[in-house]
Amino acid sequence: MKYLVVISAFLLLAASCPAQTITLNNDLIFGNVFPGIPMTITKYSVGSAAEFHVAGTSGAEISIQFALPTYMHGSGFNIEMIFFETDCSIDTLASPSQTSPLFDNLNPWTTLVYRLGSAGLTLWLGGTAIPKVVQPPGSYTATIVLTVAYTGA
Amino acid sequence: MNKRGVGRKFAAVVVVAIICFSLSVTSVRAQDVATGTATATVLAALSVIAAQNLIFGNIYQGVAATVANNIDASSGIFNILGQGSAGISISIVLPQFIALANGSDRMTIGFSSTDATVDSNNTTPATVVAGDGWINTNPNNLPAGTVIGAAGQTNIYLGGRVYPSVDQTAGAYSGDIILTVAYNGT
Repeated sequence: MKYLVVISAFLLLAASCPAQTITLNNDLIFGNVFPGIPMTITKYSVGSAAEFHVAGTSGAEISIQFALPTYMHGSGFNIEMIFFETDCSIDTLASPSQTSPLFDNLNPWTTLVYRLGSAGLTLWLGGTAIPKVVQPPGSYTATIVLTVAYTGA
Repeated sequence: MNKRGVGRKFAAVVVVAIICFSLSVTSVRAQDVATGTATATVLAALSVIAAQNLIFGNIYQGVAATVANNIDASSGIFNILGQGSAGISISIVLPQFIALANGSDRMTIGFSSTDATVDSNNTTPATVVAGDGWINTNPNNLPAGTVIGAAGQTNIYLGGRVYPSVDQTAGAYSGDIILTVAYNGT
């Protein structure tokens, strides 16, 4: 019986540390862009700004790190991209607000450290595309990588 | 149960516990990575073609000559090509005179506030109507609401007037008309 208690304790311990998971809710979508006219998508732009949701242990601290592209690519051509130091926002409330986030104007180029709320954490990312005047028409894409990890705190 | 039996049972329990723990722990990832995508669709680039010069033809000394903006064979014609229905800003730099190639003589040229027509329906100077754009508008202040036609083209038709002096040197005169177009993002 004593041993069964030990096993149960192990299982309980393991079950109390759920993995954090990231869900991509929305890509960063610039839509139609005119040659020569920079296009900015703000982090408040619902349906256009990138949106990720992180789920995990409520109250646990996590580190958040972006790998941001500097260009979008298409048909052998590039469009320059810019991410400013205020292009990210985070909300840890159960009902996160993209237009009025709890933590605003965050720098996506640095490692961000926040605690998961009861419903996890939602973060948004805006950005700017700089097409050239002679930018060839067509579709351009780039990859945004988000990595989160528990800090143990 | 003897000591050996207890020891075996304990060992078995420990092995099971370790296996269970390992199975549980392997489901806990140290980190997670997600990949999003940034996407954009670049629209057609703008281009401008001077399809036809503003042609005054033969003129007489001391007799002003006018070319209207609705003459297929002699009005100045610019074609602007780009993304259909996109808003554009247009400016025209008009010359104040035209000159002989060697620069030895000049002739005054003028443009009135009705010498331009904007045609977003790709007709011709002679057939364009008000519904196609703006008729007889000011070339020095073209309408702010100008768009590329739905088919991807807008034309500008230009007229003007020259004033040869009574002792104007005979010869071929010319001057540059510069049309600049840019998307305005609308």
